[in-house]
Amino acid sequence: MNRQPPKWADRFLEWYCNPDLLEDLQGDLHEMYYDKVESGRVKSASFYFIWCVIRSFRPSVINQNSKLKNSTLMMTKNNFKIAFRVLWRDKFNTILNLTGLAIGITCFFLMGFYVKQELSYDQFHSKKDKIYRVWLKEVYAEDQIFFNSSTPIIFETVLEENFGEIETVVQFNKRSYLVGEGEERFNENVGIMSPEFFSVFDFKLVSGNITSPLQARTDIVLSESYARKYFGDKEPLGQSITIQIGENARQFNVSAIFADIQKESSIQVDMAISNENNTDVYGERALTAWFNVSPETYVLIKDKTDIKTIESGIPSMVKSYLKERVEEGVYNIGFQPLTDIHLNPAIPVGIEAIGNPRYVSILAIISILVLVTAGVNYATLSIGQSLKRSKEVGVRKVLGALRGSLIKQYLSESVIIAFFAVIIGIILTHVALPVFNELTGAQVNISFELWHLLLYTGLIFIIGIASGIYPALALSSLRVISILKGNSQSTGRHNIRKAMVVFQFIITVFLISSTLIMRKQLNYIQTKDIGVNYDATVSVPLYQDASANSLSTAISTAMEKGSILKVKLTQYGDISDVSMGTHVFGTEGWANMAYTDDKEIFRRFKLLAVDPNYLNTFGIKVIEGRAFDPESELDKRQSIIINQAAVDYFGIEDPIGKRLPGNDFGEHVIIGVTNNFNYSSLHSEIEPLIITQNITPIFQGVSDQGFGDSPIPKLVFRYSGSQLTKVKDILESEWGNIFPSEELHFSFVEENMKFQYESENRMNKLVTVSTILSIIIASLGLLGLTVLVINSKMKEIAIRKVVGASEFGIFKLLAGSFSVQLLLGIALSIPITYWLMNNWLNDFAYRINISVDMFVLGGLISVIVALLAISFHTIKAALINPVDSIKTE
Amino acid sequence: MKRTQIGELEELVLLTVGSIYEQAYAVMILEVIKEHTGRNLDVTAIHSVLRRLESKGFLTSSMGGATQERGGRRKKFFVLSQAGRQAIDEVMAVRSVLYNKMPKLTFAQVYL
Repeated sequence: MNRQPPKWADRFLEWYCNPDLLEDLQGDLHEMYYDKVESGRVKSASFYFIWCVIRSFRPSVINQNSKLKNSTLMMTKNNFKIAFRVLWRDKFNTILNLTGLAIGITCFFLMGFYVKQELSYDQFHSKKDKIYRVWLKEVYAEDQIFFNSSTPIIFETVLEENFGEIETVVQFNKRSYLVGEGEERFNENVGIMSPEFFSVFDFKLVSGNITSPLQARTDIVLSESYARKYFGDKEPLGQSITIQIGENARQFNVSAIFADIQKESSIQVDMAISNENNTDVYGERALTAWFNVSPETYVLIKDKTDIKTIESGIPSMVKSYLKERVEEGVYNIGFQPLTDIHLNPAIPVGIEAIGNPRYVSILAIISILVLVTAGVNYATLSIGQSLKRSKEVGVRKVLGALRGSLIKQYLSESVIIAFFAVIIGIILTHVALPVFNELTGAQVNISFELWHLLLYTGLIFIIGIASGIYPALALSSLRVISILKGNSQSTGRHNIRKAMVVFQFIITVFLISSTLIMRKQLNYIQTKDIGVNYDATVSVPLYQDASANSLSTAISTAMEKGSILKVKLTQYGDISDVSMGTHVFGTEGWANMAYTDDKEIFRRFKLLAVDPNYLNTFGIKVIEGRAFDPESELDKRQSIIINQAAVDYFGIEDPIGKRLPGNDFGEHVIIGVTNNFNYSSLHSEIEPLIITQNITPIFQGVSDQGFGDSPIPKLVFRYSGSQLTKVKDILESEWGNIFPSEELHFSFVEENMKFQYESENRMNKLVTVSTILSIIIASLGLLGLTVLVINSKMKEIAIRKVVGASEFGIFKLLAGSFSVQLLLGIALSIPITYWLMNNWLNDFAYRINISVDMFVLGGLISVIVALLAISFHTIKAALINPVDSIKTE
Repeated sequence: MKRTQIGELEELVLLTVGSIYEQAYAVMILEVIKEHTGRNLDVTAIHSVLRRLESKGFLTSSMGGATQERGGRRKKFFVLSQAGRQAIDEVMAVRSVLYNKMPKLTFAQVYL
């Protein structure tokens, strides 16, 4: 018999088993093992043996005398038991503590998950560390820099051919096209991507041709939700979709379906075609152009290569292609890690909007601050409770408790509290999440992941130990003699408790005044008179004629169609001030023009093409010269109006009748100057603006053009009716005749204006939520402290009353003890708030100044809240009949 | 007087120990139970039941002599104690009283 039961299992059994039971149990197990082995079932014998050993690992079998029955384990059990009893006995404080901590934890989770979401952008790609987005920076002069995250199309081939370190180069772009046929045409953002796109990024293909989804030029891939949108329950694969690209309506076959792209991705797309269609999309010339940027270019580098070696090869590559066309250092190509895209404002925004890293860090700090407040709150309250507990400590010490075991005892309590607080916090977070998303406009969703468990356990111990360690140390350091003699208080401990209360006030007041400052700033930028009257104005994007082949004809054909719509709309009584313009207020990125003037200075300005009514519609004031005359053909052809900023920028004296400084502009003359009205968000200063009816002469003179906002004109009008739904009815009834195949969109300018400050608004709401929560935590803390202080001063109050103190005097006495700390907190919070908020305000070109009143208001709110929190119990204590509290004992 | 409650498995083990008499140890009990009822129990389950019954005073145990077959480890033999015998008698008495109360013709009712 050479087979043996598994050694390790046997040893384990010997290790834990009670020696009295060992021989018999081990014998039985061995016997059964050999029986099985003899009948030839070796595997099942071992398995059964291990199974029995594990099953026997239970309290009744475990050796109770040595290994596991040591004092640590026993005391821990005992500690938890005692802790539960103590917490149960003092329900009021336990509830206060729990609520405070749970609220803090909820706030921490909500903010934390939001921050985590912002930080986790593009982290899901398995090759994320090897993918870089290419940027292009052309530096012609100090202030003549063109920095773009979109790149020339030629980069795809050029980079791949010249660098062995690069595995794949893919390009991605989105263009708006009419998709569908006949009545069912939608404007969609269609992705144009390299066929290898899905092999570089981890976007999941769920069905169809998974290996090479965009094999053919006529292939199209759809997201799951778009497959549903276009084909409902039908099988989408193999179906065809029509896309109007330029003048051609082209058919595409659905070749594959990919899973909807998660929010945490810097690439968002719902339908995409292959970049084999580039010729149709960009035109022949763009394909080989080096100075025309359109798609984003992503490179995937090979394993064990460094992006730096590619970077160092760029200058010589540029030189070999561009030769004498550019000077050294003008044409710079760089690489940005994929995971860096979402939160790096130093690199220009590409196709998708990015986050603001400053907001992310502010929120992270605030969420931690609120959690710390909650922890400090708990610590303060527990120290307060030590009054009650000091006798217990004394007795325990007399009976021989060591300091270490006392500390453990008190830490068990705080860990238990933290445990329940975290549990409640998790539940609250999930319950509050929809409300939180609704309120803040964030789109956080929490799906359980394994590391959350680790986070929760970690939090329980960190919160439990961090908030419990001070009270534990303080309590355990009490000296037996002094406790039992009755004078249990040493002043030092009081000071720390006071300091903690002050700290809590600092954070609370800081949050309150920050909220107030943010509110004021947001209010300021949203109500600031920007020199434009956009009340009740509606903006309707027009569409160019399908045959338009240049930007100027696109603009002019859209304007022509728009004027037909304009005539129709003027018939309605509720509609007035109808006009058209290439850009409307509430959108960023008005057409950007640049050229080198006659003194060889590089100039930039913004261009707005309008019809003569535009200035009128928005009430833009002409401060010098005149506005456009609707009757004048000359105005239509050559007159331009510039803003005051342009007058200063170009340095034109007496501008009326003059030309812009530049040689190549077509025939034009300045007929008027407007005041400086804000046409982009108040983050930026007012830039020089040229308003014209005819863009051709201006286009002739500029060397560079850039469009953040589509320059295809919009129709604007003022709607004075009371029913907003009627606007839609009117527009729909007139729209179809003029634009039979285009979709109607319209928006209120006021809404768009608000939307410009969306991230600020969300930020403000998030901070407001934290503020309210921290106020609640702070007042819970105060409430608890008041009760404790009053309980310890019951006799004092009674004696004071007996010798003639008034109720109000008593109230003053009790409230007074907090007011010093409160005032100190307010005072200390001012510099912190000032510094952080100033930092935030620097984001705005137009900002309020932080003034005293906001701190006064913030302080006032906290004083009121504090008074409310303490008054109930204080007043109760002041009114109590002295006999009741003196007669006891 | 309050009787100590015994569970179904405890009762079964108790009966088995009583029936084997003087030769009862865990593995054997396991086998006997399997033989009579077809139930496939874990040896650990038998062990814990035996310990429980011993602590309730229904069984007494003694270590047997050294053996060859199990690595020289001794067996632990169980016998019914006085209290164990009494407990099993009581259980059986209750059962038989109830059993006898059943009308003999219960099954015939079906045909009426």
